[in-house]
Amino acid sequence: MADVAFLALAVITIGSAIAALEMRSLIYGSIALMGTLGGVAGFFLLLDAPFVALFQLAIYVGSIAVLILFTVMLVKRELIFKKIEDRRRKFAGIGLMLVTMVALGAVFLDSGIKTITTDEPATDFRDIGTDFVTYYWPALILMGLLLAGSVTGALVLAKREEVENAKRAS
Amino acid sequence: MSVIAPNFKLSEFIKSLIDNAFWFLLIGVLVGLPAVFIVLFVIELPIINGELLTPFLALTWMTDPTRILPIVHAFMATDLFRVMIFPGFGFAALLAAGTIFAERKMLAKLQLRVGPFYCGKFEGILQLMGDGLKLISKEIIIPAKADKPIFWAAPVLFVAAAASFVAFIPVAPGWVVADVDVGLLGVFAVIGFFPIITILSAWSANSKFPFIGGIRALFQMVSFEIPLILSLLGVVMLTGSLNLSFIAASQSSFPWIVFLPIGAIVFYITMLAELERIPFDLPEAESEIVAGWLTELSGMMYGLVQLGTYLKLYAFAALFVVLFLGGWNGPMVVPPFPAELLANGIELGPVTANVSGLPLFTQEMLNGTLWFVLKTVAVIFFILLPRGVFPRIRIDMLLNLGWTKLIGLAFVNIFIALGLLYSGVLGPGGLQ
Repeated sequence: MADVAFLALAVITIGSAIAALEMRSLIYGSIALMGTLGGVAGFFLLLDAPFVALFQLAIYVGSIAVLILFTVMLVKRELIFKKIEDRRRKFAGIGLMLVTMVALGAVFLDSGIKTITTDEPATDFRDIGTDFVTYYWPALILMGLLLAGSVTGALVLAKREEVENAKRAS
Repeated sequence: MSVIAPNFKLSEFIKSLIDNAFWFLLIGVLVGLPAVFIVLFVIELPIINGELLTPFLALTWMTDPTRILPIVHAFMATDLFRVMIFPGFGFAALLAAGTIFAERKMLAKLQLRVGPFYCGKFEGILQLMGDGLKLISKEIIIPAKADKPIFWAAPVLFVAAAASFVAFIPVAPGWVVADVDVGLLGVFAVIGFFPIITILSAWSANSKFPFIGGIRALFQMVSFEIPLILSLLGVVMLTGSLNLSFIAASQSSFPWIVFLPIGAIVFYITMLAELERIPFDLPEAESEIVAGWLTELSGMMYGLVQLGTYLKLYAFAALFVVLFLGGWNGPMVVPPFPAELLANGIELGPVTANVSGLPLFTQEMLNGTLWFVLKTVAVIFFILLPRGVFPRIRIDMLLNLGWTKLIGLAFVNIFIALGLLYSGVLGPGGLQ
């Protein structure tokens, strides 16, 4: 069962990734990108990490893909993209992909993934939280400051228009 | 009375009914019965308890409650029942249909109109059915330059997303379609799909008004998602869980709205914006941009989007009830199932039927459902009410409200929750 699901997810993820690169229509390309990101969320579900899977869905499919879609819709494709295609680039791309895959595969196989036990219970998100406030607390504080900074920046950006309007009025 | 069919004659109507019945019977006798007998010759019937299961015996069993009740019980325990009927789609669609009718009548009364009036004997109660039939029988018109695959898929996806939102809502103790440990995160993930579907539908119609409406919807939904998520974090901190059933069960003595009123208000306002209700109905502002992102949809595609919208309305109201109003918790008002019926059986004059498999629903489940439905209906009423009262606000005011005021209020709510937790009012050793 898990093998069938894994194969289906792999086909969906890789197929829609290739489609996202090769589609002529940018909108369909970004829809295929959503398929890829959703497939990755499915892998997290298979790996017994529903917390990460749902965050993957909420953030990558729900926000980042929307951002890409929105940008693509408001852009005239002919103005920014020029099609450059020749055989040497294509073969160089395929060669680069093969080299990367072999290197990554070697790293993975060397990392002891073969001896991993597969029937562990699902990771509780409370454990993730405990880890964050104990061992990884500097990273947590850094992330908190970063997010606070970005929220403040968003507020400032939202406020700026009013200041400009006030200047214009005076 | 308006003249709908000027040449209507009751006698001709009855004659046409009798005509139909006659042809139905004639064709049934000449074709249907021989077909049934031919099939019965061919198939081999099973023998149950030493009796051959003829169609007559099967029909007798179907009317015998002692035989049919265990089957109903077994069916009620299946996932199919949960998804299709009780806490899932059927229940939600029923409440959604009731919402549509109540909204039309209530708005009409608020504005001194009569509203739906002619269909059905009582206050136009059959108007919904008439509208549904009209939408089903109407032609679906696809714009010539539309992007057809996306245009066809968008209404279906919209209903699917709304239905998967409904699946997370616990209605009574143990009665929920998907009882997952991270249910609230699942809700956030599903809410994130609505802007995608809206903007894709709007873009694929290849028309000005839908595109303007879709971009407005995207702005509005994406910017109000942030205060929505932040306003619910207070409840998560107080309960220490993301499981919606657990959150509902944790409010047996106090609903969280007592401690987190600011969070509840922020969630209510963001809910109005996510649902595109007045005063935030910019995406389908009918006096400015025809019908917004719904302009090019016709026939049952429009019907599906409306169904999805009202399912979403029910789901948001139910989420408010589960998180802030205590879900199914309430005083026990449903009487217990009479015990002498279980012991002695049901007496109908001379006959005493001893029915096994009763009661169908437990007392807790009925009571929980009753309180849940009452609270949800009250919240739906408060969602509908602004439509008769407020005008539509401008898009820049809307975005300003979402990005500055509501996010600030949501943070205030989080600090209130933290204060309650650390001062020991709530949590271990506190009130709950």
